[in-house]
Amino acid sequence: MLIDVFTLFREEADSNGIVFYYSGVLSQNVIKAMGDSLKQKLQKQDEKGAKSRKVFSTFIEMIQNAMHYSPSSPDYVPSSPDNDISKEGSIIVGKDNDKYFIICANFIEKRFEQRIREKLDPILSMTAEEIKLAYRQQLKNDQHGDDSISKGAGLGFLTLARDSVEPIEYALRSAVGSEDELTCFYLKATI
Amino acid sequence: MTDLYMAGSADTPEIDFKFSSNTLEMSGEAYPENGVEFFLPVLKQLQAYLKTLAGDSVEFNFKLTYFNSVSTKILYSLFELLNEYAKANPDSVKLNWFHDEDDDTILSFGLDIQEDFPWIDFNAIVVA
Repeated sequence: MLIDVFTLFREEADSNGIVFYYSGVLSQNVIKAMGDSLKQKLQKQDEKGAKSRKVFSTFIEMIQNAMHYSPSSPDYVPSSPDNDISKEGSIIVGKDNDKYFIICANFIEKRFEQRIREKLDPILSMTAEEIKLAYRQQLKNDQHGDDSISKGAGLGFLTLARDSVEPIEYALRSAVGSEDELTCFYLKATI
Repeated sequence: MTDLYMAGSADTPEIDFKFSSNTLEMSGEAYPENGVEFFLPVLKQLQAYLKTLAGDSVEFNFKLTYFNSVSTKILYSLFELLNEYAKANPDSVKLNWFHDEDDDTILSFGLDIQEDFPWIDFNAIVVA
């Protein structure tokens, strides 16, 4: 890439309040390193206390969700769980006026589209009080119930919705070039 | 029963279960890649320990500063175990809930625990 283009990219990001951006392989080691970097950046912005914690929590929920849902190529055998290069995602954290936004994007298998809609659509129409109630109910539910795919047994999206000061948003877009198999899943929260 | 000690890391908590003195402590952050895999052996040891107790008092110092949704769910089960023991042995379990003054997330989870598990003697402590 030309240095000028990259300079522009960086300056644009800075002037648009971008605190953090990543696009690439997702592993727990990468997530730990990113979490550390994000914490330091938030501290530098003097963002202590409740808001900083919620930005960090939202970041971790989203990126771990992306890691878990991201499809592994069926013929790819990782040498270790931390070396599973088939899992990828993108995440951005920025500040708009006094609010932080966190947007995460990752590919999912097309067959998961429906279950994501079924999980998120009801949450999107809930009031803050209803989200709190649903969260409490989900917390009391048996460990996994009948949901063997969802690692957090449904608590993750409710955690995001609970902490977001504006309703969470999502989008499912066909993956260019792999329309039949893959969908790109976008999720946004505001802190 | 042998004490359980696990050193903490960036994404896993320090676990210091001194079964020999009935003092249990957990601190740090919890967002392991597989929360169930991480916490299940801890829960099993706690369960085995509680079975050996003859109504003795147990003190739990909860000092975690962050835990993801998967860990939250498992911690809930952990307190459920303590509540069952306390139900059979009233006034036996004291839970010291350390939280930062402005951390409403941890405090509100603590209040949920207090409400759902009334046999546990819940004690919120603000960390200065």
